[in-house]
Amino acid sequence: MIATLRDTCRQLLRDGKVDVVIGYGQDPVGQAFSLSDSTQAKCLGNDRDGPVFPVFIQRPEDVEQLVWNDRCHANLTVYLKRPEIRALGRPAIVVKGCDQRALVVLEKESQLDRSQIYVIGMACDGMCRPKCETCDVHEPRGADVIIGKSASNMTAISADQRYATINAFLARSSSERLAYWRQELARCVKCYACRQVCPMCYCPRCIVDKNRPQVISTSATLKGNFAWHITRAFHLAARCVGCEECTRVCPMGIDLRLLNLSLAQAAEENFAFRAGDDPQAEPVVGSYALQDKESFIQ
Amino acid sequence: MSETESFEPKIIAYVCNWCTYLGADLAGTNRLEYPANVRIVRLPCTGRIDFNLIIKAFEMGGDAVLISGCHPGDCHYTAGNYHARRRWMLFRQLLEAVGIETERVQFTWISAAEGKKWQKVVEELTEKTRTLGPYVGYREVCEANG
Amino acid sequence: MSNVFSFATLRGLVDKWITEGRHVAGPRLVNDRLLYGWLESAGQLTLDGETRPRNSIKEFLFPRHEKLYGYKLGRKRVELTEVAPLEDEQIVIAARPCDAALGPILDHVFNWDYADATYNRRRELTTIVTLACQSFDAQCFCTSVGSGPDDPRGSDVMLHALDEGILEIRCLTEKGRRLFAGQTEPSDLKSDVNGGPEISFDLDKVGEFLESGFEDSQWPELARRCLGCGACAYTCPTCHCFDIVDEGAGGQGERARNWDACQFGMFTLHAAGHNPRSQQAQRQRQRIYHKFRIYPQKFGTLLCTGCGNCTRNCPVGLGVRPLLSAISRKTQPNDES
Repeated sequence: MIATLRDTCRQLLRDGKVDVVIGYGQDPVGQAFSLSDSTQAKCLGNDRDGPVFPVFIQRPEDVEQLVWNDRCHANLTVYLKRPEIRALGRPAIVVKGCDQRALVVLEKESQLDRSQIYVIGMACDGMCRPKCETCDVHEPRGADVIIGKSASNMTAISADQRYATINAFLARSSSERLAYWRQELARCVKCYACRQVCPMCYCPRCIVDKNRPQVISTSATLKGNFAWHITRAFHLAARCVGCEECTRVCPMGIDLRLLNLSLAQAAEENFAFRAGDDPQAEPVVGSYALQDKESFIQ
Repeated sequence: MSETESFEPKIIAYVCNWCTYLGADLAGTNRLEYPANVRIVRLPCTGRIDFNLIIKAFEMGGDAVLISGCHPGDCHYTAGNYHARRRWMLFRQLLEAVGIETERVQFTWISAAEGKKWQKVVEELTEKTRTLGPYVGYREVCEANG
Repeated sequence: MSNVFSFATLRGLVDKWITEGRHVAGPRLVNDRLLYGWLESAGQLTLDGETRPRNSIKEFLFPRHEKLYGYKLGRKRVELTEVAPLEDEQIVIAARPCDAALGPILDHVFNWDYADATYNRRRELTTIVTLACQSFDAQCFCTSVGSGPDDPRGSDVMLHALDEGILEIRCLTEKGRRLFAGQTEPSDLKSDVNGGPEISFDLDKVGEFLESGFEDSQWPELARRCLGCGACAYTCPTCHCFDIVDEGAGGQGERARNWDACQFGMFTLHAAGHNPRSQQAQRQRQRIYHKFRIYPQKFGTLLCTGCGNCTRNCPVGLGVRPLLSAISRKTQPNDES
């Protein structure tokens, strides 16, 4: 697969079809830091050969830097909105099935021109993340080319399976849930890694950075942390594609997915909508239907 | 004075200017008495209601929140309340997930002619909140030293 | 001759200190992740597992949020309420050498042109008990910045894990001796110190590059993947930038100091709208310059202990070591690129 990926990218750059390939790279063993075999034995952790990180290939000969393995976690679509990356020119982007969903949402929200992006879909059998257990896009949709074939069982995943975690969480009492978040969000330091890594957080001035007036406390207190995470979750209502990057990158190990999953479930249950599924579907927030349910309204 | 004996719920009502606010005004002109526990915040339209207003109400010591606007089809700005309705449905789910008591958040449609309904809704919500008690949960979170 | 005691004794001491009303912090396992936090009981203290916690002990000397004073706007004047001075002792157990070193390093900047009262008070009230490292992971680089797995800088006590739950203890300061007086036994056992990770980059080469490489074209390329969050700064033992905010409503509130990070887009945004560091590359460059040139020139010590948290927590694997390794490689003699 990696050979095909590199060949594809080399050709795209040589032919001038794209100016930059956004993909995954990794420092080779021994280059990230030189460890002799004997000291490697004392080295803990599975990052022995260095973490996988995003790379931006502009020359055909550099495609050798591209890698593909079970630690290609990052959702690279986040780079399509960054001015420094846009300045590099027309991109080709390596996506997994979950990442590709973000492209659909971004296009629907007029944040990118799909015709100007070459999408390279990688068949993926999992990155050892919770989301992978209920994945139904092992081979990305809507890609210009798909590399590899998935070895996974491609049976459809039911909504119950998809939302098993959030349902289990919602089964607890409301005071238990509040106690859970009180415990978890106490650790938040407001580093905003969750926001920066999210493709859907593209506001030039985030609401938390506004102080005239200041709606959300910027302090990393419980009050500020609750306000921030509730706000971010709601701003992602029916837009979050479940790439789970926010959860992976949180330095303090907070399970942020749960909030987003609760809204994803609400969107699917009430509006038969899954963000990033159908490029033709109207986004849930920002549109309305005359028949929207209102049983909770007196 | 113990809190449980004479607990007076603080209810923050976010109401739209064209329907519910006028409905509340009608209740006044008709001399319909309703509990003074409600604090009315007037907005042009329910479509303008940011969910942060609900969080803020609880942050600042509110015991219940009432949100009310024009009936679907009657919005002064045509579709503001349709947008609001969608948002409310989703936001209730988020409140559930966070563990905030959704019994303390009430949505209604009250038109400019429904002074009586305003009175009834406020009375019922006040009594219900009195039974639920002061909303300690979220405020405790906000006042805790992080 | 050395002094030893058992891990069980340490646990007993921690519980005793907690019941005495002292605040004790140490590494805890939270959602399978090792993080420093306040201990409610010694049972939470975790000495093994990952090489080091994902956060640093900075929180206990320089908290993420600190109220400076309260204010209330009256009719004609503003009333201020002082924050009561800190009284409670703090003990940090099983800090790593790369955490403990932050004390002597940050003492300079917090006492440079202004003596930071709350920082200094916390320094006085805190005893740091450091656990020397028996292993390291791929992100550790203490040896590249002149430190090592048993560097005593900033520690009041050094512990070395021996076999079978026994710890060798060396009290380095009066504070440390007071804490463990009478709790240890003499022994012939001595710890065998592991040499630490091999050097990742040549500090001299880095210094040379920083001297003349401010406008080098490498910076945009190296920093390209940075997403501009604060994960590196907030988990770093020595990053110390802060923001002062007034938070309140209805004419009263509090002025507080919160952590801030130079990687945020708005960090250097002026009120007039100009931003001298509008590009992420400029912000990444500045972080390296601050830690490896500006701070050492001013205070004689690097603003980095080689803990590796920046890379460990970076969503895209950046951080000091990858950056300086890349720079160091490119400035090597016989380099063809």
